Amino acid sequence: MKPAATRFTHVIEPLLGLAAVLLIWELVSRHVGNAVLVPPPAIVWRAFVAMLDSDLPMDIAASLFHLGIGYGLGACVGLGLALLAASSQWVEAIVDPFAEFLRPISPIAWIPLAILLFGVGPAVPVFLIFYASLFPIFIATLDGVSRVDANLIHAAQSLGASRRLVILRVVLPAALPAVVAGARLSLGVAWMSLVAGEIIGGDAGIGWRILWYQEFFQMDRVMAGILIVGALGLLADSVLRALQRRLLRWHPSSAVTQS
Amino acid sequence: MNLLRVQQPLDVHLRWLLPLSTLVILLASWEAAVRATHTQGLVPLPSGIYRSGTNLTLDGVIFEAMSGSLQRVLIGFSIGALAGIPLGLAIGTIPVLNRSLRMVLDTLRSIAPIAWIPMAILWLGVRGNAALFVVAYAAVFPFVVNASQAAQLIDRRLVDAARALGAGRWVVIRSVLVPGCMPMIFTGARIALSFAWASIIAAELAIGIKIAGQGRSVAGIGQLMVETLYVKRDVDALVFYMLVIGLVSLLIDTGLRRVQQRLLPWNAK
Repeated sequence: MKPAATRFTHVIEPLLGLAAVLLIWELVSRHVGNAVLVPPPAIVWRAFVAMLDSDLPMDIAASLFHLGIGYGLGACVGLGLALLAASSQWVEAIVDPFAEFLRPISPIAWIPLAILLFGVGPAVPVFLIFYASLFPIFIATLDGVSRVDANLIHAAQSLGASRRLVILRVVLPAALPAVVAGARLSLGVAWMSLVAGEIIGGDAGIGWRILWYQEFFQMDRVMAGILIVGALGLLADSVLRALQRRLLRWHPSSAVTQS
Repeated sequence: MNLLRVQQPLDVHLRWLLPLSTLVILLASWEAAVRATHTQGLVPLPSGIYRSGTNLTLDGVIFEAMSGSLQRVLIGFSIGALAGIPLGLAIGTIPVLNRSLRMVLDTLRSIAPIAWIPMAILWLGVRGNAALFVVAYAAVFPFVVNASQAAQLIDRRLVDAARALGAGRWVVIRSVLVPGCMPMIFTGARIALSFAWASIIAAELAIGIKIAGQGRSVAGIGQLMVETLYVKRDVDALVFYMLVIGLVSLLIDTGLRRVQQRLLPWNAK
């Protein structure tokens, strides 16, 4: 009887929270009594449906295009640099101080320079996402590789494994949890930078579209766009979380990291 | 630190010399490349960054803008703490609240704070409070997440012991829950402050672009950067501002780490 009850509460309780927020939103918008200042939920929903029929699919596609290129490049370069730094102290001694120097400069701070160098357009958000996703994955990978249990490496070596085999079969799998955790962290920062980059220096995408609707004072559509940004960010993170669970099913910590 | 732990550790001098010489070579070739292609003014120039850096520091523009931005960061950060810590503690101690609000909070957390800028401008105006809203929005979630997690992880036996000794609800909250959650909340505060600092710049940039050319009042580092970009077209100054922004976030982070070690020496990460 317990599983049925918990399943029931699992469905009903989040809905209750959602209903409470919608109710408060509705009450606030009625109290204000101005559909531009605080568009009520029903009007925002209608705006969302209307957007689905017009520009929304293209905007989401543009945003995903920015994210795909920027994040793909950033993750690959970050991962590659981390592996290079992990395998050669020379590389590490050169790369690490630069990473530590650049890391505190947030991607946002690059926006004006990116606009100046690349012009308003897709290159600004792509560059920002690239820059934003570079560091978390670099640091997490370097950390993960350096924490690999030396006993595992020695065991493999004493069994006659070659350097290549040790790296591919022992070091990389053992570092994988840290790499994936870094990838998730990267994606979170990348998502924030994507929206900022599109709003301030982009010419397409969901962030840019929010500002475009503001120009026409269609605040119901602005509100719908803001919520879509949240939903897409949540979706992207849950994709990576599912990937994390799948990739690390064998790992002893996977029971812990399910949260 | 290497993949197979077979190399000798690097010489101490080499550890300094390698990055330093790379930096010098990089800067010199950068300077030479820019001068050779005559793209000064289009592409930042190391010597130009230094020159505009000293000029801007001497005439005090940077300090004025910086204090405006930092003020807003601190106010937004405090609002985030005041709203986020009680909410997080409530979610962490009342399971129903956790289960019912989690999805909503996760969705709200995934909205990039800067996406709120059109609504914030509509509600609060361009003169500063809109940026404040964005900063508070960015700061509140690290507090909520860490406070709720800390409250969930608190040792039930401590709570039960306090109850058995006759402590009321309020005493339990004040003397067991809050002190027990402090270390994690402080870590949340560090994240919140760095988010807040990134968001104030994003918000000020967005606002600055909205009102560029209208009001000449420079209120923060973000507006200053927009003015530098679109009015003065000074690349070197832009890079200088970026370096200052990085320096400030470095100072914020190391400063808070220090404070954490001082205040919570038993649990400083």
